[in-house]
Amino acid sequence: MAGPPNKRQKRDDKQEGQMPQKKFYRQRAHANPFSDHDLTYPETPEAMNWGDHYPSYVATVPAAVPKDDPVATEDGNDYGVPRMTKQVEVADIGCGFGGLLFALAPKMPETLILGLEIRTSVTEFVQEKAKALRVQHSPESVPGGYQNVSCIRANTMKFLPNFFAKAQLSKIFLCFPDPHFKARKHKARIVSTTLNSEYAFVVRPGGRVYTITDVEDLHRWMVEHFEAHPSFERVEGEELEGDEVLKVMTTETEEGKKVERNGGTKYVAVFTRLEDPPWP
Amino acid sequence: MTHPFQCIATVQLPGRDEYLAAACGPKVFLVNAGKGEIASEWSASSLTTATSNGNDDAAGTSERPAKKQKTSNAASHAPNIIKLTVSLSQQYIVAVTDDKVIHVFEITGHGELKALSQRCMPKRPCAIQVLPDNATIICADKFGDVYSLPLLPSDAALTQNASPGAEHVDVMKTDEATFKPSATNLTVHTERNRKALEAQMQQKNFSAKKEPLKFEHKLLLGHVSMLTDVVFATRQVDGKQRSHIITADRDEHIRISRAPPQSHVIEGYCLGHSEFVSKLCLIPGTDILVSGGGDSWLGVWDWPSFKLRRKFDIRAAVLDTIRQDAEVSGADKTDTIKKADKDVVVSGLWTAPFANAKGKQETALLVACERRPSLLIIPISRLMLKKDESMTQTRVGHSVLDVTCIGDSVVLSLDTRSAGPGRLQPMKLFQSSGNDKGAVDYERDEEMDAKLKCLTKSSTDAHADDKALDELLYGVANLRKRRGWGDDAGGTQVDPSDTKRDDNGTEAMDVEDDLTVHKP
Repeated sequence: MAGPPNKRQKRDDKQEGQMPQKKFYRQRAHANPFSDHDLTYPETPEAMNWGDHYPSYVATVPAAVPKDDPVATEDGNDYGVPRMTKQVEVADIGCGFGGLLFALAPKMPETLILGLEIRTSVTEFVQEKAKALRVQHSPESVPGGYQNVSCIRANTMKFLPNFFAKAQLSKIFLCFPDPHFKARKHKARIVSTTLNSEYAFVVRPGGRVYTITDVEDLHRWMVEHFEAHPSFERVEGEELEGDEVLKVMTTETEEGKKVERNGGTKYVAVFTRLEDPPWP
Repeated sequence: MTHPFQCIATVQLPGRDEYLAAACGPKVFLVNAGKGEIASEWSASSLTTATSNGNDDAAGTSERPAKKQKTSNAASHAPNIIKLTVSLSQQYIVAVTDDKVIHVFEITGHGELKALSQRCMPKRPCAIQVLPDNATIICADKFGDVYSLPLLPSDAALTQNASPGAEHVDVMKTDEATFKPSATNLTVHTERNRKALEAQMQQKNFSAKKEPLKFEHKLLLGHVSMLTDVVFATRQVDGKQRSHIITADRDEHIRISRAPPQSHVIEGYCLGHSEFVSKLCLIPGTDILVSGGGDSWLGVWDWPSFKLRRKFDIRAAVLDTIRQDAEVSGADKTDTIKKADKDVVVSGLWTAPFANAKGKQETALLVACERRPSLLIIPISRLMLKKDESMTQTRVGHSVLDVTCIGDSVVLSLDTRSAGPGRLQPMKLFQSSGNDKGAVDYERDEEMDAKLKCLTKSSTDAHADDKALDELLYGVANLRKRRGWGDDAGGTQVDPSDTKRDDNGTEAMDVEDDLTVHKP
């Protein structure tokens, strides 16, 4: 028990506004997405308190207090959470140490960006880093001042609809996901026919899903499954020109930098969310 | 000991006698309720014995070792029936046995059960329904997937091959040339992983993939969670029929998807439960969906708009029975009541028609809580009110396992294993004229009782001990998650150390993932 508590204490040693050190937040890379863990998640997206994550975007009008009647009312504002001026629109699922989040934040200063990560320590690191960056940079020095980026611990394979309403997101990133090499583990992959329906639910028509991996097999798997899903279509060639976030994704993720160092190959794919078909 | 009937259903062919189908252990009985005699009987036989001799081990199925044990034990007995449903046309009965096999029967003119097909699913089915087209079965499983299968398989030869053995992994020699590990030196970096990869490269024989199912089936949708119930809902929009599949899971979700061929479109979620959902019930003639599970209330939803109309509290009613039980047994009352919140587990929801005071037909919701010796009866009109939470509690003395309506009587299947008779209790619902206006009352239906005597008298000794029976009948409470492991230790929140979090939050790669409920 000597090792880990030490690591914990060292995390707290830093001054406010100082960047957290990655070495104190490492955690093994594989989590079982089927286990219950000890997760916290809102009952519904309306019950999620985003104010803690994006304090600059809390609406100044005080939110409605919870009513005595336990019955949910029509306007959905009775969860006692602050009203926000903006909603999260970009989600990085499995954000790891948040390289992509912090690179994207100044490029999309008007958009709320959220990282979702299943590992507790890694989530904490990203949260600390966001706090530190907010102290170090004002919105004048860096667009957005990192007020538009945050991270939560979540198992998105189970609880994505608890965080996001229908068509809330414009972009989802799936960067260097766990490849789950064994065939019998394929249900644990972050991309599957059945999970793609959930991504389609939270992404608005015209929105995009970006994938990147250094495992060719997984790349083919992801492409195959998104292309087979009637709600998605692959975007290729010139349609990708001018998509700046694509460049950022290819170069800025922590895992992507590691692949580059080791001379690996990066496989990228982009998919767009199509309109739902009319009822038969 | 008498084995209770774990599932019951009604078959009502127009212009013919009414039949009651009842499952008792591995047997299905079909009783002519008009004549009061057993029309036919069928027993599931253990088809898995051939494969339980160790083939399992060699193949490395996706089960954990402990569970493998369980299946091979079960194989020595005949498999129990866990679900029983009747097609809308009243022509077919579909039964699911706990060896994951879906059995389809045709009911012939004289009430005989004619076994048509047996199909073994990849994972244990949790809920099953025959769609109104009388041609399709939808099956929701423990792994979170919903499949559709044709009710009558098109190719009989194919299904015969698909005996339960077929789902087991066949060890096949794959051509060396065709196998290539998907990991490369560029994607694995640690020393141990590199070594593992090297070993893999040198390996010649690979125990290859599972064989695909040998019968026609389609994956419609899936949750990354154990499914607990599925219902098919249809409503009219702009003069056109729109069909939906509504699924409930152990992670508190109720999902509304379009029906095939557009089952990839999720229309929305009914969210609000804070514990698992175990049962769904559509109220006929309305857009109301009722859900129950580990919460001490029923969710009353306007499902087309995904809105929670109200939380109908049943805690008080259940507490009442617990208090009474405690008095009888002399147990510590405060202690029992303290635990009561966790004891409220909805295990069954049904609707039943009754005649109101004016003789008009209304609907009542019937609610069973696991291991509770009573049934709650709530008129739908009360369910829709904002505040009123009164209901009729019937003390039936034993826990209610299943309910079906036959003619104008409601038949309850009770767990009377030690008490002996009274396994089926028919009753009639009517509106009481007493003080409690609008409440539904009940009386025993002696006539139907006499008709069903033939069934309850028949010796149906299944080889089951108490423990095995409990396992078969009472699985719902096990769905509850063990949350906040610090909470149970006297309520003090222990600050988790990193190592503990690692244990809790992440798992070794080789640990088998399964959507099983880990019992404490």
